[in-house]
Amino acid sequence: MEMVFIAAALIIGLGALGAGIGFGLLGGKLLESTARQPEMANQLQTKAFIMAGLLDAVPMIGVGIAMYLIFVVAG
Amino acid sequence: MNRSSRAITYVPLGKWLIIEMAVLLILSLLWLLESCLAGYSALIGGLIFVIPNAYFAHRAYRYQGARQMHLAVSNIFRAESIKLALTAVFFAAVFTLMEPVHVPALLFTFAVMVVLGTALRWLIRPRPQR
Repeated sequence: MEMVFIAAALIIGLGALGAGIGFGLLGGKLLESTARQPEMANQLQTKAFIMAGLLDAVPMIGVGIAMYLIFVVAG
Repeated sequence: MNRSSRAITYVPLGKWLIIEMAVLLILSLLWLLESCLAGYSALIGGLIFVIPNAYFAHRAYRYQGARQMHLAVSNIFRAESIKLALTAVFFAAVFTLMEPVHVPALLFTFAVMVVLGTALRWLIRPRPQR
């Protein structure tokens, strides 16, 4: 039973780590590119928003599976 | 400076939401053919994605323009954190409070809506408007 909780913790933790690194890079590049070309700010923000959607798809599914493991399989 | 770079970007939140809800209803009706519980669970699974995603899209575009880009980036970070937390809370609430629940319908519809939400943002992009 403990292995289920460890698996859920790994899924949520690694998903959050990946999303955190990805969003950090995305936000950093967005600020950097906006500082270089302020006139492109709106287009860059739109592209960053689309990439944010791609970035958080896997952690979202991971959260769903982890909650299933915690509350249904172990619970 | 071209015209589109000066324009304010219009985010098609309503259009995204309508398409997502329409696909969610179709998926729920398809699961309803299996059982009433499966259809209900599919609807709940889709709503678990749609509600936090709508909040994220609303909050990510609260600030626009180069002068407020640091506020926009911090808002994107906060919105993403709140979105993941809301998803976890909704799943926990469903699995603890809703008895019984058809888990395959719930998780399958959720996964389909995640992929659809990403594809919608790619296909129907926010357009710059004057």
